[in-house]
Amino acid sequence: MTDDFAIRTEGLTKFYGDRRGIEGLDLEVRAGEVMGFLGPNGAGKTTSIRLLLDFLRPTRGHATVLGLDPRRDRASLHRRIGYLPGELAFPGRGRADDLLRFFADARGGVAWTHVTELAARLDVDLSRPVHAMSKGNKQKVGLVQAFMHRPALLILDEPTSGLDPLMQQEFLAMVRDARTDGQTVFMSSHVLAEVQHTADRVAIVRDGRLAAVERVESLGRRAVRTVEIHFADPVAPDEFAVLPGVSDVVVSGPVLTCTVDGRLDPLIKVAARHEVVDLLSAEPDLEETFLSYYYHSEGAGDAARTGA
Amino acid sequence: MLPALVRKTWRDDRRTVIGWAAGVAVFTTVYSGFYASFQGVADVKQDALPQNVLDFLGVADLISPAGYLQASVFSLLGPLLLLMCAVTLTARTIAVPEEAGAMELLMAVPLSRTTFAGQRLAAAGTVITLVAALPWAVLLIVIPIVGMDIPLSHVSAACAGLIALVWCFTGIAFLTGAATGRRGTVLAVTGAIAVATYMAHALSDVVDGVHWVRWLSPFHYFIGTDPLHTGWHPAELSVLVAVGAVTAAAGVLLFDRRDVGV
Ligand SMILES: Nc1ncnc2c1ncn2[C@@H]1O[C@H](COP(=O)(O)OP(=O)(O)O)[C@@H](O)[C@H]1O
Ligand SMILES: [Mg+2]
Repeated sequence: MTDDFAIRTEGLTKFYGDRRGIEGLDLEVRAGEVMGFLGPNGAGKTTSIRLLLDFLRPTRGHATVLGLDPRRDRASLHRRIGYLPGELAFPGRGRADDLLRFFADARGGVAWTHVTELAARLDVDLSRPVHAMSKGNKQKVGLVQAFMHRPALLILDEPTSGLDPLMQQEFLAMVRDARTDGQTVFMSSHVLAEVQHTADRVAIVRDGRLAAVERVESLGRRAVRTVEIHFADPVAPDEFAVLPGVSDVVVSGPVLTCTVDGRLDPLIKVAARHEVVDLLSAEPDLEETFLSYYYHSEGAGDAARTGA
Repeated sequence: MLPALVRKTWRDDRRTVIGWAAGVAVFTTVYSGFYASFQGVADVKQDALPQNVLDFLGVADLISPAGYLQASVFSLLGPLLLLMCAVTLTARTIAVPEEAGAMELLMAVPLSRTTFAGQRLAAAGTVITLVAALPWAVLLIVIPIVGMDIPLSHVSAACAGLIALVWCFTGIAFLTGAATGRRGTVLAVTGAIAVATYMAHALSDVVDGVHWVRWLSPFHYFIGTDPLHTGWHPAELSVLVAVGAVTAAAGVLLFDRRDVGV
């Protein structure tokens, strides 16, 4: 590898006829990091991933994966990539272990103990025919397939879909182990909570464009929360409405409710001038607030500029 | 050791192949073995049909061993069965898994696109050839037993033609599947070409003034030379093989250029 990036795209663009799949994607995934690829359905996550794996050919732009060209170096690249497709369908009607042996052979041999370890970890019975498995078990076989050869780069499209919460936790532990072993993980999701506790950074796509790249720690600070303050005496709304980050101020008698974007400090400082009886602040629900901010508001443009 | 993808292809095609192989072997055995009992009634049947109808059916005469084999095995049913088998199996190389969404995992194997397509085609092509060679194997056994009076080299020439014909249509089917990734398109395009060129071959003998049309038909290169009476025609067989090779190569190239699973 010639640089420190596991994935690097420049202006990567794919149109399906007139329909935009992804446009102008500039993304850098550092070697050894876990990056979440976040966006609502139809945002262009699968399209981007399929471009990286040479299933799709870009309309414009270019991608480098592990320092290699996805098309020209397809063979050597796929030896070092573990890929979990978003829509899993298995070729053939054989048992899961037959299918995994095929992948092991095709990849030039894989320690079988590692395969059985992964299967035990995810609690999936490999002696059963894949086509007769439930969606969750199919997903597990797909995950074993992606992790089995200890690839340098894991590209996982909606990896937790179909997994029950317990298995989702196990999967996330596998991702953390992968990072510990120096593997790079690039995983898409339309649910922030999934990547929040494992990813180092998240890239957020919306409507076929990259909206932001953020460190996960900074996500919490950006959260919009609702604050309710009960004062001993009635207060004037104007005093609070002018504060930075504070909006939707409603005062009814001694009770103030408002929305705070970012730090709470300015609001608290002003509130402290009065006698405060009670203060309620809803835990920032990242799902509802942060993501809707990126997905639906025009503020996404600013967010992109402040990206990590 | 053979490439993993080739072995995987064979394993997945196993049932289909066994079914077709059994069908083709039984068909050839029954029809060729029936010659002894057929001889007696053949005179009657042949008199009942006008010569141009026999021509259209691709049947010169029904009484001689060559005429009988031509009518029973080589004119219609044999090629039909083998072409159906070839198209079915060829569709399964790319179009069927692609429509099923299974290409993403299948192509997760570390191979270039061209190697992938080449191995899929090689795997399917091998079993298709084996099935297409079954009439040959059966006839070389049955003909001496039944006591048909026909040179085995003539039978071999016709059987080789059958394989060459199957290669030709395998190439066409592969090209269609590799270029489009649609099973329905493979069946429709290959089927339409087979029917149209079969009729072109048959009609060119019957209808005046369209004699030249036969040159466009793979069936002409396969059976128009009358191998059961005249033996080997390497030039004609080469045309079929060449068409198969060129279309297959074009399929590999087109597959290397397009989006997969769109
Ligand atoms: N095969 C296709 N043909 C046409 N449009 C497509 C195709 N695949 C995806 N799209 C469109 O591209 C956009 C991005 O889709 P996709 O990459 O699947 O999003 P995501 O994976 O984020 O849900 C969507 O608007 C979708 O409708
Ligand atoms: Mg998707």
